[in-house]
Amino acid sequence: MRMIIGGAFQGKMEYAQKEYPGIRWVDGAACSEEELLQCEGVYHFHLYIRKSMEKYEEMRLFADRIIRENPQIVIITDEIGYGLVPIDAFERRYREETGRICTRLAAFSERVDRVVCGIGLPIKGGDVR
Amino acid sequence: MFHLVTGGSGSGKSEYAEQLIMEFGEKEPWRKRYYLATMMPFGEETKQKIERHRKMREGKGFCTVECYLDLKKQLIGLFDEEKQACKPLVLLECMSNLAANELYEENGAGENSAEIIMEGIRFLVDHSCLLVVVTNEVFAESVPDSPEMTVYKEVLGTVNCRMAGMADQVTEVVYGIPVEVKR
Repeated sequence: MRMIIGGAFQGKMEYAQKEYPGIRWVDGAACSEEELLQCEGVYHFHLYIRKSMEKYEEMRLFADRIIRENPQIVIITDEIGYGLVPIDAFERRYREETGRICTRLAAFSERVDRVVCGIGLPIKGGDVR
Repeated sequence: MFHLVTGGSGSGKSEYAEQLIMEFGEKEPWRKRYYLATMMPFGEETKQKIERHRKMREGKGFCTVECYLDLKKQLIGLFDEEKQACKPLVLLECMSNLAANELYEENGAGENSAEIIMEGIRFLVDHSCLLVVVTNEVFAESVPDSPEMTVYKEVLGTVNCRMAGMADQVTEVVYGIPVEVKR
């Protein structure tokens, strides 16, 4: 498993296409669970979590399911935990769950890159400085 | 030794910070371990959060001290005794709560929040063998701030910068991965 993380509009997708050319990507904002569990790569993974949380209470175990059923996946996700605590209860839960799920996936991943201003910095595996 | 731990929400900062204390504690097991808790138990969600942290700390030998305001004033009695014997290992969690308490609580420091907090931090640096402070990156979001939020961010940002200046090490925890900021 590989992850590419970072803030919005930082060039994560372009970086991903350079690092992992030829991969078949699905859009986390629109894909089904089956598609996610079978794809080679997913982008907008945070929006998949958001969409699913509107239906299911407990999402945390989903990280283990991805690890079990699609351990080779490349995951592109926004980092969303860098602001003040949201006033809305759902937004608070979404932010926290996304953090916990991505932390679990990052622990399993052999490589995690963080993209800032289009520049990818490996923070786990790869070529960590 | 002062180690500052920062990061976004739900990223595993606490677990990492506790691990720093535990690793040091293994080498020097005679040192006392203090957990300075700054979160006030308001409402159900906060209580659950406190309970989750309490469970995580269970069996790790921490003595929990609740510190909602004015660290130095609250801890001076306790820590001066400690100084006579042997300096303890101290984990303070979390600066984002302490800053909010100082700013918004009736008996808080108000506009002197950053000063009072830093006075407390300097006191803790002097009185502990290892000090680990957990803080929070709340400075990057799209929603415009209310004037109140701007003041809060300014206080926390000021405190974070000053602490980082004093710290021997600063680590940002990103989805459980420690990323070195200062060493």
